[in-house]
Amino acid sequence: MSKYPFNRLGYMAGLILLAAQVSPAQAELNLLNDQALSGISGQGGIYLSGDISINEDGGPIQNTYFGSCSDTTKRCGARLAYQLKEGGGWMVLDDIRGKFSFEGLTLRVRKIDSGFGGDGALFNRDVLEIGLPNFVRYDSVTFKLATSSTARPTDPGFQQTDIFSVEMQGDVVLEGNLLVFPTGNP
Amino acid sequence: MKPSVITRAGAPLIALLVPVSPSVLADLQSLDDSAMAGISGQSGITMELDLAATANSISYFDDGSGIHLDGFRIGAASDPNGRAHQIYKIDILDDASLNLDFVVQDRRIEFTDVRLDDNPAASMGGVFFDHDLDGNLRLSPGGSLSSSGYTYDVSYQMTNGRLGYRTNGNEVFLDGITMDVNAPGMTLDVDGSTLVLASPSVTGSFSVDAIRYSNNPLNHGVSSDVTSGALLPSYGSLSGDFDLSSETWIAAGGRFGDEGIRVDGSTTINSANFIYSDDGNSIALLGMTGVNTVDNLRLDVALDWQGRQSLALTVDSISGNLDIQQVQLGGNGGNLGQINLDYLFADQTINGQAYTNAVYLQGGGNADAGSQGLRLAAQWSLANANVAYTEDGNRVIFSGLQSWGQGDLTVDVTRNEVLNGTQFYDGLRIGFEGVKGGYRINGLKVGDDDAPLQGGTELLLALGVFPSYDFEIDGQITLGAGGASGEGLTINSDIQITNGRAALVAAPYDEGNGEVSQKGLWATELNYDTHVREMTVDVTDDGLAIIKGEAWGTMDIGNLRVGDKVEGNSFGRFVVQNYEKGSSMTIRPGGADNVCVGGSGTDASSCAASGGLWEMRGEEGVTVSLKQVFARAISDTKRNAFIWETNRSQGAGGPENGTGTQLVLNDIHTSDGEDLDGDGIEDNTFGIQTDLSVDIYHTKVVKKEDGADANGVVGNRGDEKIMDTSTAAGYRYVAAPTDTEKADRPLGFAVQAHSRFKELSVNNIDLVHPTGGAATAIYGVKMQNMDIRANLTATPIQ
Repeated sequence: MSKYPFNRLGYMAGLILLAAQVSPAQAELNLLNDQALSGISGQGGIYLSGDISINEDGGPIQNTYFGSCSDTTKRCGARLAYQLKEGGGWMVLDDIRGKFSFEGLTLRVRKIDSGFGGDGALFNRDVLEIGLPNFVRYDSVTFKLATSSTARPTDPGFQQTDIFSVEMQGDVVLEGNLLVFPTGNP
Repeated sequence: MKPSVITRAGAPLIALLVPVSPSVLADLQSLDDSAMAGISGQSGITMELDLAATANSISYFDDGSGIHLDGFRIGAASDPNGRAHQIYKIDILDDASLNLDFVVQDRRIEFTDVRLDDNPAASMGGVFFDHDLDGNLRLSPGGSLSSSGYTYDVSYQMTNGRLGYRTNGNEVFLDGITMDVNAPGMTLDVDGSTLVLASPSVTGSFSVDAIRYSNNPLNHGVSSDVTSGALLPSYGSLSGDFDLSSETWIAAGGRFGDEGIRVDGSTTINSANFIYSDDGNSIALLGMTGVNTVDNLRLDVALDWQGRQSLALTVDSISGNLDIQQVQLGGNGGNLGQINLDYLFADQTINGQAYTNAVYLQGGGNADAGSQGLRLAAQWSLANANVAYTEDGNRVIFSGLQSWGQGDLTVDVTRNEVLNGTQFYDGLRIGFEGVKGGYRINGLKVGDDDAPLQGGTELLLALGVFPSYDFEIDGQITLGAGGASGEGLTINSDIQITNGRAALVAAPYDEGNGEVSQKGLWATELNYDTHVREMTVDVTDDGLAIIKGEAWGTMDIGNLRVGDKVEGNSFGRFVVQNYEKGSSMTIRPGGADNVCVGGSGTDASSCAASGGLWEMRGEEGVTVSLKQVFARAISDTKRNAFIWETNRSQGAGGPENGTGTQLVLNDIHTSDGEDLDGDGIEDNTFGIQTDLSVDIYHTKVVKKEDGADANGVVGNRGDEKIMDTSTAAGYRYVAAPTDTEKADRPLGFAVQAHSRFKELSVNNIDLVHPTGGAATAIYGVKMQNMDIRANLTATPIQ
């Protein structure tokens, strides 16, 4: 067993993310149930629920490209463009719309010094714990992936090629906790 | 030896208060019999006099150290060389009481400087007090403790009042003060060596027409500028009423040496209302009640902790509570809710250092502002406070607030000029010099004071308040008179915070078993340099409107630590720079009202049909509307940027900033995306607009796992948490709660947010290597047409 057992999961930009049911490391982790947490100091934190919608009724720009969602000749979603090469073209996520809702996203700092099949005692560190909601509901979440000649669709010489569209609907199961903690040289 | 009061001119102080000076006597006119016929109560004595009295200095000595009121004068308010007109009628009544009717017209009492022995060149500044009085004092034998005491019945009306503070030719003053006071049955007794003053009932009302500012040295206690004739600018007006009772004990003996004064007291606010108005729109604190107790307040002329001579006010403790039934904001009279607080200022030890409560008043103010000004070398120690906010009957308590610190505060009235290399602005300048302190909040309680302590103080981040903060502050904030239009405030400030430690997430510092290391997510080695120019603050019909002229700053977080704020491991260094022009904020009473959470619909049935949760959050609460206009970068300090740096070289004091690898988001800015005004530059007026409506509301909380929870309460996954005071833990889990049980869902903060922007751009994203330099990874990011709506509820974890 390594000094820091979570090293098995690999490092990602200095953060180690543990998600009990969406990580391939699931088999190696033991979920702490609510009662097990009773022995952990620092019970502070918050519990979040709610919904977030993007451009449900369109955005603030009204021009030849963007408009109301009732106007089928225009796009009412948000647009994100970024340029990877100086003077080159733009990658675009276009017409971003949709709604997400969730119950029970938690946020707190806690010390892990027990559990995890004995690995917790060896780990013995503080982590920022993001408790994932059991379900995240996607309601008509859509966007288009495209390439464009300009950052704005209203810039001179604008040309855009929509590569594909994505639409997401339904519930996604997100269980367990996301543990975020520093590692390496700060 | 008793403390002594003398005048430097050699005349006893009483000579200034009682009309016995030759110059005054020469002006007295005897009343003939026909004149006397118009005066009632002819059995007594009537004195009518025109008074003008001056003294070069009045001094108070305490253990050989003196404080001097220089340039003392009593005379006319309207004429610096004129006399105040006063009429006193004295009668002995049938019950052997002494009755004094008094009328005072056009009187000013003032002193130009307050100086201390050790630094006579520095003055605390001057104070003037103008007033007309019409009142009555009745003095009867016998106090509350013995027949050797006295009983006073006092009532008076003050009109045409002014109370001002002047430094270096600039003034701030309350103009047009009117006050009615009725205080029957006040008693004065001697108990051993202590004077006991009891005021069983002090009722009255007051109003202040304007709080004015003058930067013209030719002005002194006038409403209009003597040069231009224009009315002087105003911060706003005040009004209120009060019903108080109090007891005060006064004894000889200071905290330092043999001499000094000791004061103990207790004041009860039976009822009070306070209203600040800006062009007719008000902030009103209504229905106030409370108690304040002062234990062992001492007044000395003594040295502060840096050996500087001062007028020292030191106290063992100040405790009390204050309840405000309504906080109304805006011309439309909307209600934010109810506030209750209790507090205890007392000595405490934080991080091994002892803190107390003391203010040491010294002369001089800011060193560059001139010879006049006030310096307060202050130590504060708030040992415990609880602040409760209630809206629509739902209550959240921020529990275990502690604060501590020490440092110098300077107070100067300044004008827009550069003096000795320092830029000053029009207004009342409050300076911070080496102020080192902090605060922390233990946790939240919902419902009542006996509720269990919970986490959740990080919810305050939504209001820009850290749950815990250690800081060192230098800088200034200048409060100018006049807002965006008419009355109001204009603020210019420069604040530098160094060596800060701010919690973004914080666990309690005391869970009931004594103080523990507070766990959290901490921004440490924090240096924050922030500047604001021409920011106006006005009360409008809707609420409080704040418009920033120009604001910029750099928040340099040396380490973002998780766990302990000193020893916790670090995610690295984060730098956030902001540069805004034309940003604004409006705070309005009233929250989100009716909301469909997780669905859509305009009523309960349509919301439920869409799978949503219909919430009626009530009329109270608060809504904050923000407009953040991120301007394009014009320099390395005036820009919007984000930097994350890791892998820094280790120096003697830890990781050295600038030696590691950086991710830089450079020149983040908003834009309207078009040039409507035709000036050749893209407009940038829309910014990022965000509306946040915050309520305290019952929130659905579901159990995430089968079995017992952290407090041993058993339930199944998906069960709802229902508060129940009859259970040991204060709650239980219910699979399918009834409507009655739903009314007992846990309380939390419900936030309805709506944020939108036309364009938000990042000029470039660079990766910076300490030796290889910057390499651009992304040559531009542009987000357009974004509109995000969110309904979020946040409850503390129990």
